[in-house]
Amino acid sequence: MKKLADFRAGDAFELTRSADRYLPVYYAAVSGDFNPIHIDREVARLAGFPDAILQGMCTMAWLADACTAYFGDPGRVRRLKARFSRPVVVGDSVTFRGRCVAVDGGIVRVEVEAVNQRGEEVLKGASAEASFQE
Amino acid sequence: MAIDPRHVGRRYGPFRSTVCGERIRDFATAVAGGVPGYFGASACDAHPWSVDEESAARSPYGALVAPPTFGVTFAMQPFAQAIVDPEIGIDLLRLLHAEQEFEHGAVVRPGDVLTTTGEVAEVRAKGNLDFITVRSETRNQVGELVLVGRWTAVVRNQAVPG
Repeated sequence: MKKLADFRAGDAFELTRSADRYLPVYYAAVSGDFNPIHIDREVARLAGFPDAILQGMCTMAWLADACTAYFGDPGRVRRLKARFSRPVVVGDSVTFRGRCVAVDGGIVRVEVEAVNQRGEEVLKGASAEASFQE
Repeated sequence: MAIDPRHVGRRYGPFRSTVCGERIRDFATAVAGGVPGYFGASACDAHPWSVDEESAARSPYGALVAPPTFGVTFAMQPFAQAIVDPEIGIDLLRLLHAEQEFEHGAVVRPGDVLTTTGEVAEVRAKGNLDFITVRSETRNQVGELVLVGRWTAVVRNQAVPG
């Protein structure tokens, strides 16, 4: 288990995840978000996308997993935020590159960039904080 | 059609949810590239405290711990209800999730009974885009604050391409 002293501003971490055709269906089942734009390619096309798009909250769950792996503890996350700047389409991969920007008062703060396989940002302003106050 | 700002303050809930260990495990598994449910047990890189009961039992929490975005299963209802509220009149085909913020309080474990309420916190327009933000607040069975969510959707009002 990590302690506050294990974190330093400047630490870096990375995670890559991929959206295969089944993921939006699995995510619908476990989250309850069955909006057809995520499930049905034809509905997604009607909405102007090339294929089904992943639930934004699944991309955010990936962000959380990237941060949790760095923090070492899913129960210590206190804040998590992001803007969904570009849809993740079935077939896309997303790489999350995080950086610790501050360790202050028992709070570890990270900022994360998230880009797809073409280098396009899918999240903007992504950040998280974890509390290591005893 | 722009979203009418008079809907700010419109309230939804309370919604009650009992947290189930299997759902925590399936949620964490699916997100991490595994297969949820009966054909599961496939490889995934989820944090062990959210998927492995033995590992979680030895953790400081003593039981499975919900991942940080598990709130989608219990705290999204006010946002979802606002989106389909006929009084607000949003076209689902023109809607996307635009922005999300969570503030976490007490950890969420199997057996917790969570109560969520929410309200439309903000409506704003930017060019052809309409934004609506719903704020949710969730407390557990002993009244501890578990999660505050700010859920923002964008509605694209220009003609759909194609």
